[in-house]
Amino acid sequence: MDDYLHDAHDDAPGELPDEPLEPSLLAAAREYHRPPELPREAIWRAIQAERRAARATRPVPRRWIPWAAAAAALLAVGVGIGRLSLRTDPGTPVANWGPSAPAPRVSAAAYRLTTLEHLGQSEAFLTLFRSSVRTGGQERLASATARQLLATNRLLLDSPAATDRKTRVLLEDLELVLAEIAQLATDARPDDRALIREGMDRDGVLSRLRTEVPAGTTPTRGDL
Amino acid sequence: MPLARQGLRARPPVPEQPFEAPLCQRAVRPGTPHAPEPVDDRELIGRVLAGDPRAERELYDAHVDRVFRLSCRIAGDPHRAQDYTQETFIRGFRRLADFRGESALSTWLCAIAVSVTLNGLRSQRRARDREVGLDEAPALGTRTVEADPDLKVRMARAIDGLPEGYRTVFVMHDVEGYTHEEIATALGVQPGTSKAQLFRARAKLRTALADFARD
Repeated sequence: MDDYLHDAHDDAPGELPDEPLEPSLLAAAREYHRPPELPREAIWRAIQAERRAARATRPVPRRWIPWAAAAAALLAVGVGIGRLSLRTDPGTPVANWGPSAPAPRVSAAAYRLTTLEHLGQSEAFLTLFRSSVRTGGQERLASATARQLLATNRLLLDSPAATDRKTRVLLEDLELVLAEIAQLATDARPDDRALIREGMDRDGVLSRLRTEVPAGTTPTRGDL
Repeated sequence: MPLARQGLRARPPVPEQPFEAPLCQRAVRPGTPHAPEPVDDRELIGRVLAGDPRAERELYDAHVDRVFRLSCRIAGDPHRAQDYTQETFIRGFRRLADFRGESALSTWLCAIAVSVTLNGLRSQRRARDREVGLDEAPALGTRTVEADPDLKVRMARAIDGLPEGYRTVFVMHDVEGYTHEEIATALGVQPGTSKAQLFRARAKLRTALADFARD
């Protein structure tokens, strides 16, 4: 937490005798800043008021905007993958791209970048989906977006991006979730959405995506 | 599935008389209207995240006593402790989706409470420097401003005079009954650091209150 707690000697305390304070001192210490009766309801009311105020001042986005943004960003990722898969080094014979020839370093970085972008998009999409579980009404758009993400996901699973075991497992788990959402019908029952959400929670897909793509650190193409 | 890695159990609050043996055990106060039943944190968190207002209240009831006590002990001002407790839960609810289950929910909330409280105190301290080196503490005892200060007053002064890190660990361990593991998690340090801080805090208190310790 704070540097003040760290001391070069503190982490190696050796055999410090765990000797409690003398009873009289301990009894006096227990009187130190003795808490009064807990004002339980007053604190709860204040918390509720504060949270209501925060919700009221938060701008309510139009519901279609984030979905449309997710779909548009998805298209950009798809285009990026397409370009990557077509790109070859003009100075390198095609025969050198066989399994025995090491791929150029930039290629691995590009795949990693694309994977991160895809995971970032998936995380945004699943977060949106998760928050819309209770309300519903966006099944068609969610299903369409999931299908596009699914296509990208499968491309990545078949690409060198999936050689890393952790990434491959994440992509495989993500595929299951996306496939379920892609199959959502427009007349899906709330239970269907809740089941998908439970599956996401059970496998920790969203949290693993967040781990893989920490907030604000998703690289852009400019980072290459 | 991070939340499943732990056997999450909401810990009941510290009883009003928390220091009878065994020192570090916490128990539900029988008969109190808000004594929480053991709650499955995972299930509760899931319901809070799903927007269930009753679950929010359950989570609050299960942990508020412990958070308030800790904040009060560290801050020394019930009104400020009330504000810090409120802030702790507001932050807790806001960040609940990020809770990864690597520690118990109660420990996670305590970490927020300690952070909020210490930051609040530091803000206060910008106006007035209330840090007194404990090396000066023996002199405090010889002052004649207060005739024959009793042990409680001397102890309170001596604890106030501890460096912040020592004081926090001492209050959490010896006063509120947290384990070194819980303190380490809440403060982001190793358990060995917590033990060392406690050892030094006790040593300084013994020095400062040597005349009482001899009695």
